[in-house]
Amino acid sequence: MDPTKDDTPKGHTRTRSAVKATRPRASTKGPLDAVDVPLTSPLSPQQQQLTHHQPSPQPSQRMAPPIGPSRSPVPILVPGPISPFPRSAAPSPAPRRLAARPKDFSYLLRPDLYHAVPAVNVPAAFRVASAKQPGSDTPIAELLKRGQFRAAAAAAAHALTTPGVAPDPGDHVAVFGLLYTRLACLMLVDATAQAAQEVKAFEDLNSVFYLDEATGVHLVPWALRVLIVRLQAMGFGDPRRAVMGYYELAREARGRLGEAMVGHDNSGRELWKERLADLGVRVAGALVEMDDLTGAAQHLASLKEGRESGKLTMAKALLWLHLGDAEAARRVVKAGEMGEKAEKVVAALCDMADGEYGAALARWEELDEQSKDEMIGVNRAVCLLYVGKMQEGKTLLEGLVASGRASHTLLFNLTTMYELCTEKARDLKIKLSETVAAMDESPSGWEKANADFKL
Amino acid sequence: MSQPRYPAHDAVKEPHAISLKVLRLSRPSLVTQFPLQQPLSSPSTLRPPPLPASLAYSPPSAADGDADGDDPNPDPFILSPIVNLPPSFGQAYVGETFSCTLCASHDALTPAESAALGLAPGAARKSIRDVRIEAEMKTPGAEQVVKLELTPPGREGKGLDLKAGDTLQKIVNFDLKEEGNHVLAVTVSYYEATDVSGRTRTFRKLYQFICKASLIVRTKPGPLPAGRDGARRWVLEAQLENCGEDSMQLDKLVLELEKGLVYSDCNWEVAGGQKPVLHPGEAEQVCFVVEEVVDSREGEGVQEHEGRIVFGILGIGWRGEMGNRGFLSTGKLGTRHVKQRERKATA
Repeated sequence: MDPTKDDTPKGHTRTRSAVKATRPRASTKGPLDAVDVPLTSPLSPQQQQLTHHQPSPQPSQRMAPPIGPSRSPVPILVPGPISPFPRSAAPSPAPRRLAARPKDFSYLLRPDLYHAVPAVNVPAAFRVASAKQPGSDTPIAELLKRGQFRAAAAAAAHALTTPGVAPDPGDHVAVFGLLYTRLACLMLVDATAQAAQEVKAFEDLNSVFYLDEATGVHLVPWALRVLIVRLQAMGFGDPRRAVMGYYELAREARGRLGEAMVGHDNSGRELWKERLADLGVRVAGALVEMDDLTGAAQHLASLKEGRESGKLTMAKALLWLHLGDAEAARRVVKAGEMGEKAEKVVAALCDMADGEYGAALARWEELDEQSKDEMIGVNRAVCLLYVGKMQEGKTLLEGLVASGRASHTLLFNLTTMYELCTEKARDLKIKLSETVAAMDESPSGWEKANADFKL
Repeated sequence: MSQPRYPAHDAVKEPHAISLKVLRLSRPSLVTQFPLQQPLSSPSTLRPPPLPASLAYSPPSAADGDADGDDPNPDPFILSPIVNLPPSFGQAYVGETFSCTLCASHDALTPAESAALGLAPGAARKSIRDVRIEAEMKTPGAEQVVKLELTPPGREGKGLDLKAGDTLQKIVNFDLKEEGNHVLAVTVSYYEATDVSGRTRTFRKLYQFICKASLIVRTKPGPLPAGRDGARRWVLEAQLENCGEDSMQLDKLVLELEKGLVYSDCNWEVAGGQKPVLHPGEAEQVCFVVEEVVDSREGEGVQEHEGRIVFGILGIGWRGEMGNRGFLSTGKLGTRHVKQRERKATA
């Protein structure tokens, strides 16, 4: 019944060679490329999907893949159990023949789907001593504004599952709004694995069940669909699914972009272009998560710079650095267009990759004088440790905390330095957690986890 | 790195006022992020700025002197330009340089401890002078240990006086050339003075780690028809297999040949291709054409020993995550003698 279950275990142990053989090809230019959009598309993506799901008298015909460049080579390469058409067998949880009836999303409102995020991973400074822990009746919007993401995740689950509070099972706007809040907040409190389990309940988002029967528009908001692609890939333990999922979305985005261009809808055109560019970068991210760094590099090389110029060049440079090729990172910067600051940042990172920490430090110091940026401060402090000036680096990081910064990276690096400079690092870590707990709440997030302080 | 096997050897049983901590300095790593759209935001507007909490670091604001908001964060890309210190020791591989930082600290007393001793909070019980660190590496093959150079260098061999809460930090580098057990031995000495007396104290910590092979190199020489001027030619093929647990990008290949031989590279640089990336377990096939230099004044181009021609050694350089370098060279490679008769025929 559950098509997604087919994907899960079944000895899906990949051998090394299998990984290599089935890695999606990087020649992904077509569907993510906004330029050669056909102005007249014979079928809108929704229509395509609808036709595709019509029961056909000839099974062979039904199984034929949709034609067109937007079907990336990926699904064809996928072996047995992951059918290229999980959705063709997708049973909608509700009968779909009854037209113009509100959909029933009650299967997403079951209390057993949502588990509490344990508070044991939260340092005591945030749990007990703080008057900032919100009351259970605080509205979700307020929690988000205050950076109380664990509480917001719990509140969203509560709102979804409590009789009397829960939205109507047919009110897709309310249901999906809460679900996006729930999943996004889980990811923000480092409970991505839990989020990946919870999205399994969505089953196949490409099923016609999720389309508005009258207009053919997908009922799930775009941001949630993008999020679910990655989370379902993680939940089903198959990272290639993420690449496929993004391509599915890109196909739709291309179709909508084409419609907007035909209809001279300027804002629509910009919106879908933007979303297409966003998907392109996310595909590269999915490839990085699969450790296919060369594939990701080739894919990024095929994309075009978007509205915010320089971002793509930066992504390429960072990818080459991650792979270890500082020369290629420098080449990319030379060929691309980037702001002066970004160029200097890459130059400093390249020096670090070459082991020239002294030269890198000089660059970070120069940048630090221009702007008190958290990233530059942290990188400068890390460099100081590599040249034997950890004391200075530690003071610098403590200064960043005192100015109200508290990213995971900042706290991780500072606690690492604490571990190096004393036998009694635990006391310093607890003190640091108290300092951070005393900070004002903000949308950047207030509550931290034990792991942030290496406690 | 394993925990020190025996923490101290010192005649005095009293705890030391100095503590030693070490961290292997592999390259720092780029922090990953998964940028998210604000929950509860309107779905149909242009992509709004991402939720700040979903980014690897807080974006600079005008208050930070960043007037143009020129943030280099390439969101929604997964990698960000902020770096993390190495989280763990990781794997040590032959061909890499092992870097490690050694930190000797004068631990300040906790408030409870100073109260027990009747001292003001933060006060030091003793003054600590002339702190020195020495480091040696014991490799599997060598009888003798190797004394390691420490950077940054101290002032003319003098130690450093440490106030409570201060740290003496040094860095050591060591080229890993052998597989097997390595032991990093660190000795700390200092002079501990109280109001009435003073003494020199020493302790030593041992850190053991295993160095593994990261690259398997298999070579195969083969004869080629002689060149136009009668010079003998061979093809030297090599298979480079990544037997480590991390990906590596091959950086350069160098043949250091014996006198009288030249070579041409037939690999990615000549072909104008990308440098090959080897995932764990993957292999790359490379090849060279080795040719004798025929010079009438000096006669034979290359020396032969007992029917064997020695080519030279092959050096392979690679880079790992965030540019971590590795370099290996093979032993002397060669081939058996090619018969004189064949040479004459082709000449």
